[in-house]
Amino acid sequence: MDPAARLGSAQIDVVAQLAVSTVLLGGIYALIAIGLTLIFGIMRVVNFAHGEFLMLGMYLAFFAFTLRSIDPWVMLPIALVIFFGVGLLVYALVMRGVIHASHNVQIFTTVGLSTALQNVALVLWSGDYQLFRPWHASVVLRLGNTAFNLSQVVAFAVAVLLTAGLFAFMKWSHTGRVMRATAQDLDAATLMGIDTDRVYRLTFAIGIACVGTAGVLVSPLYAAYPQAGLQFVTLAYVVVVLGGLGDMAGALAGSVIVAGVEVAGSYVFGTAWKEVLYFILFIGVLVFRPAGLFGQRGAESLGV
Amino acid sequence: MPRRLLVILVASLVAVSALAAVTHGQSGEYKIGVLEPLTGPLAGEGKRHLEGYEAVRDMINERGGVMGKKLVFTVADVPDPTAAATEATRLVTREGVKIVTGTYSSRLCGAASEAAVRHNVIYWETSCVDPRFNKRGLKNVYRTEIDATGFGWYNIEFIAKHLAPRLGKKPNELKIAFLSEDSSYGQGVTESARQRAKQEFGMQEVGSVEYYKFDTTNDFTSVIVKLKQAQPDILHHIAYTNDSILFYRQAKEQNLQVKAVVHAGATGYGAADFGKAHGNEANGVFALLEPGPGFRVEALKPDGQKIEKEFRDAIQKKTGSYPLGAHQLAGGGLWLLKLVLDRAKSDDPDKVRDAVMSLDLPVGSMINGWGVKFSPEGQNANERVQHYMLQWQNGQLVTVWPEEFTTNRAKWIPLPAWDQRK
Amino acid sequence: MSADRWVAAALFAVAALMPVVVRDSFILDSLILILLWGALSSAWNVAGGYAGQVSLGHAAFFGIGAYAAALMSARYHQSPWLGLVAGIALSLVAGGAIGFLSNRLKGPYFALSTIAFAEVLKIIASRWRGFTSGSEGVPVPFRPGFWTMGLTHVQWVYLALGVAILYYLVQVYLERSRIGYQLAGVREDEDAAEALGIATRRRKVQAVMLSAALTSMCGSFWAQYIGFVDPIHVFSIDLSVRFALNSIIGGIGTALGPFLGSILITSLETYLRATFSGMKAGFGGIYLIIYGVVLILVVRFAPEGLTGIASRLGLTARKADAPA
Repeated sequence: MDPAARLGSAQIDVVAQLAVSTVLLGGIYALIAIGLTLIFGIMRVVNFAHGEFLMLGMYLAFFAFTLRSIDPWVMLPIALVIFFGVGLLVYALVMRGVIHASHNVQIFTTVGLSTALQNVALVLWSGDYQLFRPWHASVVLRLGNTAFNLSQVVAFAVAVLLTAGLFAFMKWSHTGRVMRATAQDLDAATLMGIDTDRVYRLTFAIGIACVGTAGVLVSPLYAAYPQAGLQFVTLAYVVVVLGGLGDMAGALAGSVIVAGVEVAGSYVFGTAWKEVLYFILFIGVLVFRPAGLFGQRGAESLGV
Repeated sequence: MPRRLLVILVASLVAVSALAAVTHGQSGEYKIGVLEPLTGPLAGEGKRHLEGYEAVRDMINERGGVMGKKLVFTVADVPDPTAAATEATRLVTREGVKIVTGTYSSRLCGAASEAAVRHNVIYWETSCVDPRFNKRGLKNVYRTEIDATGFGWYNIEFIAKHLAPRLGKKPNELKIAFLSEDSSYGQGVTESARQRAKQEFGMQEVGSVEYYKFDTTNDFTSVIVKLKQAQPDILHHIAYTNDSILFYRQAKEQNLQVKAVVHAGATGYGAADFGKAHGNEANGVFALLEPGPGFRVEALKPDGQKIEKEFRDAIQKKTGSYPLGAHQLAGGGLWLLKLVLDRAKSDDPDKVRDAVMSLDLPVGSMINGWGVKFSPEGQNANERVQHYMLQWQNGQLVTVWPEEFTTNRAKWIPLPAWDQRK
Repeated sequence: MSADRWVAAALFAVAALMPVVVRDSFILDSLILILLWGALSSAWNVAGGYAGQVSLGHAAFFGIGAYAAALMSARYHQSPWLGLVAGIALSLVAGGAIGFLSNRLKGPYFALSTIAFAEVLKIIASRWRGFTSGSEGVPVPFRPGFWTMGLTHVQWVYLALGVAILYYLVQVYLERSRIGYQLAGVREDEDAAEALGIATRRRKVQAVMLSAALTSMCGSFWAQYIGFVDPIHVFSIDLSVRFALNSIIGGIGTALGPFLGSILITSLETYLRATFSGMKAGFGGIYLIIYGVVLILVVRFAPEGLTGIASRLGLTARKADAPA
């Protein structure tokens, strides 16, 4: 590195830009992870098809924009509703039957769903990469010498809002408490008269609504294509484990950590090795603190 | 017990016969196998590659086909190297083809050719640029497109002979930075470019070469930050489509300013999707490719002109657009196969080999303005496979170099500030 | 012999006779793939079915075996059989590591850790250009001869068949031996098993290590057969899922299941790919949609897989302790 770059403001600029990137990237990961951690936490199901709903959200935004000129930010509330409905439908058709089945059954159900969805997208919309540019995709905000992309800032803001909202919902609303109770002890919950099927249905629908909306939000930033979900879903798992199963705030923190490892790691070690870093972090957490950095100790060996 | 056994045996036989349904070609037709990635991350370009093949196949059939028969394809989808190997095997053993062609991508051609060779058929590669392809000592394996080292060679040629003077510098005064995706395509182009840049022209390489995985990179901030510190004049970036679009957007956001961006290949900056994504902001970016608009067909030899015009019309009719990189590589390669088969008058591997080696046409003789001269290892020579530097100008990739081949001229040297790229 | 064994014997006999009866290279090629996939799924079944440790990262061991054979042959110009042995050794170590993890993590956590493990290996293989040629992959040279594993199609059939029979017998052994019963205990109720004095932790590690070694061996054969090792593919989660898929659809925890599953899935895929491939680009995806839906249906409505369906139809004896 050029020694001149070590001096004063240039160095600060570098750190500032990296920090900003980390936070904004973290916002995107958080949006995706929140739905996953909710489903994971309450239903104890690993949703391998999670990335595909992200992909569907991206396509929804793409078609809304190119066919009807609807801006993705306008699509947001519409997408929330649509994907909530999609979540209900998928639950009824696919998930309900396997909710009490063994892990492999659940895993392979969602894996099958994932394969099917990816290829439905491929058959219907071809493998071309679809990108579109609403006005805000090119708006750059600047603070000093650091740049913020407006779409990313909004994605981050929405992520924080959603997390806060879900957190509040889970903590203080009746339904939220019911959901948490079901997660803690299924049998006791049933004995208390809780309609666990309704809880699961709601959980899944909320989870899918989150990730579908995430897709709409990130679509100005990344191209849509049938395998777009794969790009993000493995990261989402790392985030969820880091943050602790079912822990909303943990998901947000985990997202920033993973994003930080990515950005800083690629700066220091080169882009080639960044994934190794967060996977090693992942395995490390699983080995030493499997309940996540913020989760309850012992949660992981309660099994599921 | 015997009853159960019987059921199982019957079931197995049913399975076997499902596999055994053999397809017979109709007589009067000559079938070749075509392998393309039609699903998966390369599907967009694989599709275009196939379109190029189909357009030229129709042209060939209008002229009476090959060896007196109508040329037909049996197409197989190969999204990854394993599929490439198994589908190549299937096309040879099940469909009985004697010639296999394809495959668009450097990831696929190695596996496909190995499999084809095990069955002693001819493998005709028209697009991949993996430098190891022709160095394995395999018989009956040919490639019509130059390899990645040729790309690197041409890129540096352009930078040294055209960009440098227009920037008012000598080649050895230029600071150049390299960035690339990490498959054999990116590595091949970049390493050969680096070598030529340093050894032949003494260009100064700044920053360290960064290789990344094109399909899982979500953020280029760290790369851009380092580039801003290194301050290169030229950025040599080899990318696939997704990453080129992402990088360019972030470069704009973070205000990375270089004097020129140079790429090579019918993907990434050289793909239609890049122009669609960035519109006029892409103005000024260079990509080494086959000829685009502005190409002076008159600069070709007479037979070349005729074929080239016909090819363009065919593509225009078929896809509604000007021939794009993938079209041109496939079309040029298939046309060359026709010339070989015309000469050999058979698909016997030895006769084909003789025909291939005997072809010797100068630049300007064929589609894309190519010439032909194969090395003993089956590689079409770099100097005959003329490549051209294209530049994005107002939503189109136009030909700007070598100047004798085109009516257009390169603009925006050096690249203006981002807010002025309209 | 119980009905299952008759069926297995019959299938293997059919496979042995096919090269005599059939000359078509394509069918032999499909047969080899069916046998290898069956063997790989059996290997997975040892850990996932018999020991109850569902791993989604078995591609890690597969890739180790594939690279070991390929590099030994392509880089060091030694016999790939040596590579096979080296691969097994490495996989035993890796399997030990995963086994260690299985003692600390349960259910989805364990599955995720196996995914991460395979991913790390994938990244290392694609980056370490000096050793593995990075993302470009390793083309495996074909040199005719036994020690170079350059075999004819017919020879491959018999080699694959031998491997398949071996793996089948390993599973049978696990079913009938004391170790097998202990594993069944671990699988069904680990706490109870431990209370009975079974060394559950050790058994789990052993099962995973065995599974790893078996997977690795097949990986080596596969590399030599296909002729090309690509890191993105050999360590991919798609592969890992596939190993498990065959076992689940065929009948998890049974010796015959993985082979039945392999016959069905591999035939289906080959047939569908041949029918749909090449049509309007993208329609090739249709077979994968069918794939995904079939998986969901089988796993939901016929969780004991094909062997379960067969026993319900009265074709084979019912298994006394069907695993969950």
